[in-house]
Amino acid sequence: MIYIRVYDLCHENCIAQKHATALHEIIHAELHAGRKVELDFAGTRRFLTIFFNLAVGQLYRDIPADVIERSLKVTNLEDLGQRVYLDAIDSAKLYYNDSEYRKAVDSVNAEEELACA
Amino acid sequence: MFIVLKPSMIVILRIPTINDYSSDFIKLFKLREQVEKCKGIEVIFDFSKCGFLRQNAVAFIGGLARLINHYGGQAKFSWDTMQNNIRANLVRNGFMAAFGGEVSGYFGNSIPYRQDICGDIDDSISDVMTYLDDQWLGRSWVNIDPFTKDEVVQTVLELYRNAFEYGDSPVGIFTCGQHYPNIRQLKLSIVDFGIGIPHNIRLHLQKESLLASDALQWAFQKGNTTRQCVPGGNGLDMVTLKRFVSNKKGRINIYSNDGQIIIAPAKNEIYQSTPIFFKGTMINISIQCN
Repeated sequence: MIYIRVYDLCHENCIAQKHATALHEIIHAELHAGRKVELDFAGTRRFLTIFFNLAVGQLYRDIPADVIERSLKVTNLEDLGQRVYLDAIDSAKLYYNDSEYRKAVDSVNAEEELACA
Repeated sequence: MFIVLKPSMIVILRIPTINDYSSDFIKLFKLREQVEKCKGIEVIFDFSKCGFLRQNAVAFIGGLARLINHYGGQAKFSWDTMQNNIRANLVRNGFMAAFGGEVSGYFGNSIPYRQDICGDIDDSISDVMTYLDDQWLGRSWVNIDPFTKDEVVQTVLELYRNAFEYGDSPVGIFTCGQHYPNIRQLKLSIVDFGIGIPHNIRLHLQKESLLASDALQWAFQKGNTTRQCVPGGNGLDMVTLKRFVSNKKGRINIYSNDGQIIIAPAKNEIYQSTPIFFKGTMINISIQCN
């Protein structure tokens, strides 16, 4: 198992897109290779939804939900972070696991892209 | 109502007294409409009819001035037309310094005026967080435990994050706040001059006829977002905002395009249409002091 201390990357605030993207790349590579990951949030205080959308939510794009749940361990995440984390994960699961929902969102997005072209 | 045309295409924009009641926001949005008609010309802000300006007006007028410049015109302030109390306040909150006027190192009860250009969002969010920590909640005006402070700052940062990401404001985001000890309230106003939330939602859902109030309701439902590259919520669900106002006996008013939301403690949130279209989004946050 690879251990990642989130504080070392983000310090107290998990709010930056660049940190989330960096974290996502590491986690994605490890899970894809069949290894487990522990994300330790000890010392972190503030969280934005975009951070979890980018860092973890995107994993559901090409890694099955049960693999993520088995292989990604999140520790020491305070209540405030838990709330934001769970919201982001629920949204990602809904999008990537519910094909009807995804079709509906994608069709809206495709129409929007055409309208803006 | 507010505008006087002078020869050689100079416009005098008369600023009235502006509080933060609904009717005052309408006054501000009418000023925005006037500025839309003044592209490429010199506009002078005249305060001779103004007896009072709240923080919402300060943020808004700062944005209007930048918008005039963005449109190829020139914004000028007739500082001499200001009453002393307004002038003193605009010195303290840094507004005058931002527009080439008097500089002061003394803030008094003001939470400084600031402008954030939509550049690197990570940097902007980090700067805003420091501002909220130090200037808004860090001056002993509100007794707040560390957990609640984190929650409040996090919620307001989500509002900023959305404004940076979706607002598409050509001149950035403008903020100003004020502590009012006599009514024991701390107020913060945030405004952008972008496309507005209802317009963004109508585009996203491809429903031009969607009522502004319905569009706002959609935007503040958990999990809904117009973000395309990364699915997931935008952190602005109504549950979070209601928890915020309950925690601090506060109130949030959000005006965007032809709609508004009022969130107050112990009440259901109200989504309404407004009688005037505002191209942008204005957020007014009040929290109760100790």
